[in-house]
Amino acid sequence: MRILVVEDDFLVADAIRRGLCMSGFAVDCASDAEQAAAALAAEHFDLALLDIALPGADGLTFLRRLRNSGTHLPVMILTARETLATKVQALDLGADDFLVKPFEQTELAARCRALIRRSNLKSSGQLTLGRLRIDITGRQLYVDDEPVELTGREWLIVECLALNAGRIVTKERLQQAVASWDQAITPNAVEVHVSRVRAKLGESVVLRAVRGLGYRLDEPQ
Amino acid sequence: MSESIASAKSIRRRLLLFLLPPLTLLMLVGVFINYRTATIFVRAAYDQKLADIARALETQIQHSSDPAHPEPESLNAPAGILFSVTGGNGKLVAGVPRLPAAPVGSTPLTYGDASYEGRDLRLVTCRAPTTPGAVTVITVAEYDDSRSNPGRFILASTWLVDFIQVDITLLIVWIGVHLGLKPLLTVRRQIEARSARELRPLDAASVPTEVRPLVDALNLLFEMLSGAARAQSQFVADTAHQLRTPIAGLLGSLQVLMREPAAAPLQSRLASLYDGLSTLSHSANQLLALAQADRSTSLADVFRKTDLKAVVERAVERNVDRAVECGLDLGAECSPATVEANARLLDDLLGNLMDNALKYTPSGGRVTVRCGYETGRPFLEVEDDGPGIPEVERPRVLERFYRIPGSAAGGCGLGLAIVDEIARQHDARLSIESGAEGRGTRIRVLFPGS
Repeated sequence: MRILVVEDDFLVADAIRRGLCMSGFAVDCASDAEQAAAALAAEHFDLALLDIALPGADGLTFLRRLRNSGTHLPVMILTARETLATKVQALDLGADDFLVKPFEQTELAARCRALIRRSNLKSSGQLTLGRLRIDITGRQLYVDDEPVELTGREWLIVECLALNAGRIVTKERLQQAVASWDQAITPNAVEVHVSRVRAKLGESVVLRAVRGLGYRLDEPQ
Repeated sequence: MSESIASAKSIRRRLLLFLLPPLTLLMLVGVFINYRTATIFVRAAYDQKLADIARALETQIQHSSDPAHPEPESLNAPAGILFSVTGGNGKLVAGVPRLPAAPVGSTPLTYGDASYEGRDLRLVTCRAPTTPGAVTVITVAEYDDSRSNPGRFILASTWLVDFIQVDITLLIVWIGVHLGLKPLLTVRRQIEARSARELRPLDAASVPTEVRPLVDALNLLFEMLSGAARAQSQFVADTAHQLRTPIAGLLGSLQVLMREPAAAPLQSRLASLYDGLSTLSHSANQLLALAQADRSTSLADVFRKTDLKAVVERAVERNVDRAVECGLDLGAECSPATVEANARLLDDLLGNLMDNALKYTPSGGRVTVRCGYETGRPFLEVEDDGPGIPEVERPRVLERFYRIPGSAAGGCGLGLAIVDEIARQHDARLSIESGAEGRGTRIRVLFPGS
């Protein structure tokens, strides 16, 4: 998967490039909007990381231009200024995520994976999460490309967790997701279903229970 | 010296000190005049008594069978009164011998003062023509000191009454000044109730005209101060922003470097570099958060109904990985609750409380974030079973840059100051207590009821 990093600070750009390379991404760097536009025109990228404070046209202007040209390329904004106004503006302009400097390399990599995952889901109807492959349209779960049998409720739980991978899904939300399938369900029943799902997924992913809140599905680090 | 400065500074004392000498002088003059007037009347009354006795003696003589030679036995006077009756021939008829007589005057009855056997006398003399050509002289006298008891009583009572008058006057002045200064006290209380960073103008409408210039001047000062405070926090925010990009570069590069196989022999040195850089990064973020909390009076418009459960969920979400890394059991206990608040500031507030809990609770511990209602008031709370904050340190931990002596992890001492500032912006009460069974720390932010 290929990522374009648009960042004028050499040290930051270099750190991002090296870090993402280690996480298995292919990375190209551009130091201003012109270079970035040229790179995007010439090659295919799965994701762009965009700094706001760029020399010449700033990141937000570049993003507006990008969206006006009809590109659906996922874009993550990197900035040192985390004001609410900037964040709202960036998301309104069509940014997919917003990360404030300084950040952890692992978090950056996880967010990049999540964005690419979501973008792939849109184009293929499939989600890949570590050793899991979730075919949303075909309602089928694969672990290491082997199909896994799930009951209707278990599938709804896996689907809800996978679509929100990396985020906490509250017990209430799972309850609602499952209850829509047939009659109402108690929170205890949700726990039973989750533990069955956990048994079927085994070590292929990390399914973490967060006391008092819900569950979070992650790919193993 | 300091005593005189203190007295010069108190209007009440100044006024009393100013009033005391003239009032005392007036009191002395009053006592003198009252005493003099009273003694004149008393003297007149006593003189009248002597005159009555003299007349009674005269009547006695006139009515005797031989007025020129009255019977001495029929002539007497009440106890304590001296008298002498001298016949027309100048011989003593009755009474004490050699009693002086008052000087002759235009009336038959004259008054005088004299000395008799070494004691002062007040005397009255009546010269009555008993037979043609012969004058009987009747003198009635009284020792001065037998009159002095009523005089002393009058003096004492005049003193007492005047003294009480002066005291009451001073008391009235004291109370009057107190009542008159009440608007100033109200202003003082308004100022005292403020925090150092609360620089709203005072309410000038409710103060009397005399105090108004003072309040106006104070408001002008507050305005200047808040301008300076805004400029300062803007500067801090700008600086923190400027620091972030280079810190991001350094941190990122270092993280990458640590993962490279070639760096293996340098791991421990790189790790300590990384720790230092993380602390620097954290400090820059905290400074920025504090500056933003300071400035948030300008963010007052973004106070809206905020779901505390969502605030808790976001905070837990951000910290799950860190909790797992530290071997802590992080959880939440939420009841639905909403509060009129700035959601961003609440994120900062809870983030800082959780940061402390995660930083100071040893591995294997438990951190729980709660929200809900307590007697109708919404609250946010973080409880841990870590080392706890000793009771004596609790008021101090809210100070900026204060760190409990001997505390381990690398904090910058701004976390709870930020929490305190944000709580203040929301009129919320911050309480630091021990956790369940007296272990750990429980910090609660209790918002005002709606």
